[in-house]
Amino acid sequence: MKKRNKKFQKRGSNPLNKLSLFQKNDGKFSKKCPLSTKDAPLIDYKNIDLLKKYVSDNGKILSSRITSVSYNKQRKLNREIKKAKILGLI
Amino acid sequence: MAFYENTLLAKQDLADKDLKEIKEKYNNLINTSSGKVLKIEEWGLLNLAKKIKNYKKAFYIHYKFEGDKKTINEINNKIKIDRSVIRHLTIKYKKLDTNKEFFKKIIK
Repeated sequence: MKKRNKKFQKRGSNPLNKLSLFQKNDGKFSKKCPLSTKDAPLIDYKNIDLLKKYVSDNGKILSSRITSVSYNKQRKLNREIKKAKILGLI
Repeated sequence: MAFYENTLLAKQDLADKDLKEIKEKYNNLINTSSGKVLKIEEWGLLNLAKKIKNYKKAFYIHYKFEGDKKTINEINNKIKIDRSVIRHLTIKYKKLDTNKEFFKKIIK
């Protein structure tokens, strides 16, 4: 008999498995940081398409635990998102 | 001297003539107060994410310039009085990249 412990299943195995309510269905995030690769996109308050990925539908900033962005980049993202909110872009 | 970026949100219900006046006004203001305008971008009429002073849309004007403390004080003082500008944001940079435009597609 094989053991079938559902508790110890890998988290990433099922794409429908959400960590949080605010996580979007379309964008699945990889385990490595997506913003610190070689040709990573620019983090800037004018680059709205990128910033919208890291914001929930209600306008909250997603935590790095869900999106697996590195600590350094998360702080930068945080700053840029707040700038974009002042100008009413997000 | 340092590099700066300034974005203005002008009222939605202004005529084209008034918009040009605003654009020229701040261009002259920066140039006369010990600064130098490098580039002006018009992002056009965009929808706001939420209402700002009861406006749903706003006209975006974006300046890239070189200057110092004096220029920024001058701009802030003028914008506070100006009634046709809803909101603005100034940001300091060490290096400015003037080639890339994020809002080019929308203008056409």
